[in-house]
Amino acid sequence: MSESDRDTSTAAADVETSPQARGVAETAGPGAPASPGAMEYDYTNFYFGAGSDAFALLEPFDDWWREVKPAGYYLYELPLHTAPGTRVDVEDTKTGQVRRGLVNFASYNYLGLSYRPEVKQAIKEAVDVYGGGSSGSPILSGTTALHQQFAEAIADFKGTESAMVFPTGYSANVGTIAGLMRSGDLIVADQYAHASIVDGMILSKAKSKFFRHNRADDLDRKLSGFDGKKLVIIEGVYSMDGDTPPLAELIEVCRRHGARLMIDEAHSAFVFGETGKGVAEHQGVDHEMDIHLGTFSKSLGGQGGYIAGSTQLINYLRGFSRSRFFSCALSPVVVAGLMKALELARNEPELRAKLWENVAYMNRLLADAGIPTGDSTSQVIPIMVRDDARIFQIGEEIFREGVFINPVKYPAVGKHKSRFRMSISAAHSKEELEEGAAKIVKVLRRYDVCP
Amino acid sequence: MSVVGSYRFHTGVSAFFDMATSDARALLPEHLEPIEVTHQRSVLSVTAFLFDDSVVGPYTELMFSVIVPPTVAKWGQHAKAGFYPFLAATTSEEARRIKAERFHFPYHPESIDAQFIERHDHVRIRVFGADEPILDLSITPGAWETTTHLLQGFMMNGDQRLRTTLQISGDYTVHENEAGQMTLFPHPITSNLLTQEVSPYPFREHWFKNGTEVFHHLETI
Repeated sequence: MSESDRDTSTAAADVETSPQARGVAETAGPGAPASPGAMEYDYTNFYFGAGSDAFALLEPFDDWWREVKPAGYYLYELPLHTAPGTRVDVEDTKTGQVRRGLVNFASYNYLGLSYRPEVKQAIKEAVDVYGGGSSGSPILSGTTALHQQFAEAIADFKGTESAMVFPTGYSANVGTIAGLMRSGDLIVADQYAHASIVDGMILSKAKSKFFRHNRADDLDRKLSGFDGKKLVIIEGVYSMDGDTPPLAELIEVCRRHGARLMIDEAHSAFVFGETGKGVAEHQGVDHEMDIHLGTFSKSLGGQGGYIAGSTQLINYLRGFSRSRFFSCALSPVVVAGLMKALELARNEPELRAKLWENVAYMNRLLADAGIPTGDSTSQVIPIMVRDDARIFQIGEEIFREGVFINPVKYPAVGKHKSRFRMSISAAHSKEELEEGAAKIVKVLRRYDVCP
Repeated sequence: MSVVGSYRFHTGVSAFFDMATSDARALLPEHLEPIEVTHQRSVLSVTAFLFDDSVVGPYTELMFSVIVPPTVAKWGQHAKAGFYPFLAATTSEEARRIKAERFHFPYHPESIDAQFIERHDHVRIRVFGADEPILDLSITPGAWETTTHLLQGFMMNGDQRLRTTLQISGDYTVHENEAGQMTLFPHPITSNLLTQEVSPYPFREHWFKNGTEVFHHLETI
């Protein structure tokens, strides 16, 4: 279907036009298809380029971007006009319309905590006491009593001696890895490790290797023959595939080689395990992890990151995590909301039960429709399309049908591995899951992604 | 840019393997940098083309390259990637002589033998030298489409730095399903790769069919 063939008036979602969106649409040139070769290029083709001018890539990138943005890249960074609830109002920057009441499968709000009245009330009360920001580095003036209480609450929740809070999950990984490892050491990470893990490895200047995804035998090979400090890094739930690691096998390899093991539970903390500690608890190896890392932006619906472990580890990293102490501390307002969200997550196990019920129901809906979902065993469900050339076209039609879900293609995932990443929340109603799945299936059938 | 050589091919494969950046850098002249696919890991490209129509008739070419950044050009002329071939081999001495003169590809002096065994779900390329195995490479398909790739090749002629632009057109599939595999056997062609930590599994598999490779004039850079 060409851009001019598309009739947005048939879209199921209610729409209205915003002046801001109109401006963007005019710039983007609605209806202008990209040239045939343009969509065969991607960000990676403009990352490297030999030449003598540091700005040499800007112009060809800009020319390419203006062609491809209306053809699909505009689907990223669409402004929301509502909280990240189960239904959202989203600005369509291509048509200049605000699409209302879309079923939301894009947000990380796995327990629906970001907009709970108790959380909002805690935030309002903190504003009155602390104002908007922390106004300082955590090691200088940015640590409030709230920050300390929250770090202690995280350690208590994770069952570790200590914990430390970072301004983002990204900085937690970068600061922990680069704070601990040095030139001459060895870091081995799963090949699907998040960019913040990779960036931490780069900053550490340690020798870096990647083992094949979830393959303990390859980890064994990558650790063999190295005599020195070794750190292995894995994730609890891999964010693009929704699968989990075989922890017992990986732990055995790490112990045999004398390697320390760090697990990033960004997508699994607060939802996996009997008490919600994460995948390590779920697999019964919680105390075998040397470093627990996680974020507050997913299940707790806020912002920030943490590490939890021994007091010695935290004390050391307090002095060497540059990404933490060279950043402003989290706003106390955010921390207040997180404190309440953590309390709710701990005291309401029914939220996790509802989440897993929803995940099972959505998996059943997708399986019944014959939609491939890879190896997901979590609330992150990849809808595998494997059609890099048409993923944006399909994404645009799903969006116009009334579902907010992000297309993912190379380089975020491998070539020929394009997909939609579906995030399920405990807050989704059965009706919302059914409506969203039906709309997605309707579009995917048109493209022969499912029978 | 004028065309200096056009080669029709029946099958062309290119498999990308990650290799240590330190090893990649050692293979490159000092004016070129390897592209890193992940931290400290660069890209080794192993290509094999079965040309079915050239001035010397049908022949096979095997080429080992390091992937490097292309020189920036205006959008529309901006190449998708660059490569520096550090070793090539052919089944035809005449083809080798002509391409060495035109493009200064660094050819192994002895001819090789090659088999392309093509099935619907994979293509296997077996390369031999004097009946001894050199390489066994299997590539699998993803979704097929018709495409044209604009690439840049970088070569050296003594101290002279050279660059050519080439277009590869044809039926094409690419994926990163890690379904292919490569085995290298001891041989002068593979000797400097066998000492390196090269993954036996290509992270990206390209497969062209029924296409054309068009080379443009060499430029001194």
